[in-house]
Amino acid sequence: MSGGEGNHWYPVALLSDLTQPRRTQLLGAPITVGLKDGAGWVNDAAYHALPTVERFGHLWTSPGNPNRDLFTIPEAESPGRRLVDVGSVRVKCSPLRAVENFLDIAHFPFVHTDILGAEPHTEVERYHVEIREGIDEVWATKVRFFQPQAAKSAEGGIITEYMYRVPAPTCAVLYKTCPPRPGEWDIITLFVQPLTEEWCEVWPWMALYDDDATMAELVSFQQLIFMQDRSILENQIPRKLPLDPGMEVPTQADMTSIAYRRWLKKIRYTYGAQLVAA
Amino acid sequence: MILSWPAPYRFEGLGARVLDWIAVALLEDLPAGQVVPRRVHDVDLAVWRSAAGEVQAWGDRCPHRGMRLSHGFVRKDKLACIYHGWQYDLDGACDYIPAHPDLTPPKTICAQRHDCSTQDGLIWVALEATDSTVPETGDRVPVRSLDVAVSAADVAAMLGLDLAPVLPVDGPFDIALAVQPSGPSHCLVHAVAGSGADPKTVSRHLEDLRNEWEAAA
Repeated sequence: MSGGEGNHWYPVALLSDLTQPRRTQLLGAPITVGLKDGAGWVNDAAYHALPTVERFGHLWTSPGNPNRDLFTIPEAESPGRRLVDVGSVRVKCSPLRAVENFLDIAHFPFVHTDILGAEPHTEVERYHVEIREGIDEVWATKVRFFQPQAAKSAEGGIITEYMYRVPAPTCAVLYKTCPPRPGEWDIITLFVQPLTEEWCEVWPWMALYDDDATMAELVSFQQLIFMQDRSILENQIPRKLPLDPGMEVPTQADMTSIAYRRWLKKIRYTYGAQLVAA
Repeated sequence: MILSWPAPYRFEGLGARVLDWIAVALLEDLPAGQVVPRRVHDVDLAVWRSAAGEVQAWGDRCPHRGMRLSHGFVRKDKLACIYHGWQYDLDGACDYIPAHPDLTPPKTICAQRHDCSTQDGLIWVALEATDSTVPETGDRVPVRSLDVAVSAADVAAMLGLDLAPVLPVDGPFDIALAVQPSGPSHCLVHAVAGSGADPKTVSRHLEDLRNEWEAAA
């Protein structure tokens, strides 16, 4: 490990799906995860126990000494929400590319055509981005976009409002307009387990207000969206996320990704990043 | 004899990048309005044709987020990236960014163009600028392209020839191969044959040749 990536929390399993011990890996090192007496455990290759946290339906661990607690999402705990364990998808890309794509709205009309976006509604209006002091998180707010079918529960096109939050280098949280409950936010997250710098296990998770759809429908909607993203993520060159300017060309619509890259540099998180322009 | 090549040309050892012009497809296999990926040596290309049929060969990477342009789509005389719909004109310049419809993109945003030409029904690409003329295949017509799990240099050697853009093949038919090096142990051959030959028979013969090369490699 080159930098401080060992001192962060990472998702390594879905608790509801951890019926027997499972081998996986984290930051290039093999680990084993399992449940004992209802509590999740994680061992490294030398059978040493790693610290664990159970949160958002997932088991989290860290190979190092996390210098901050695993983040929380207080809004997700309000009653009436459906908590959706989507499962995992393996993607041959940098964990940072997976997060950055999740923060991007300009691709909706082209990658999630007629679902999350559609031509000619392609314009991305200026929104607000900041790196919040104190909590040290990236936040994008007042993000507005036209969506033909914003969620499983949406009927017809609506202007959806979004907030994006990056509370950890490989995790992102999206708060979006909730069609059945104006004034509330649906919560959709992307938790990324870095298997290596160029290979990851992605665990989407949702906390939604939706009383109609079945759990299977909610899961398959999110899987459809992520499969479309995967066709992008596995075809970006280079696979690692370039943090230095010059390799890629951002525009105003990419303010969130600019802030994300800047923040990664600031906290010196370089696992999955390319630092020198090739 | 081991030759050493100037730095940018070093790849695959002997025989690397000795060809100025490299055939990448039969023109008839790339209809107008379509884009395909092609690898030439270690360079990934997006080869595409405008709606009017003009042929282009670009580096397979959108400068915005590195997405492969070969996954994109053609609209009229532009190639658009599938990720965010950025459109590039025939000069390779980005002239439309859908997220900012009223913006005139800076001239600095452009795809990497390579010289590209069509001749005798083949699409030819030059990775580096060259003064040499596009190779001719004689009075032959395109038959088909074949994937071969043998390097271009080895295919030439098995034909008893030095690597050249067009390799004539001895045998029962008037055949020549335009070879496309595409890896240390891989190439494409784009076959042309005298107009009298039956394409099906020639195609079988080419498959037999490929089997021989791959067995011998």
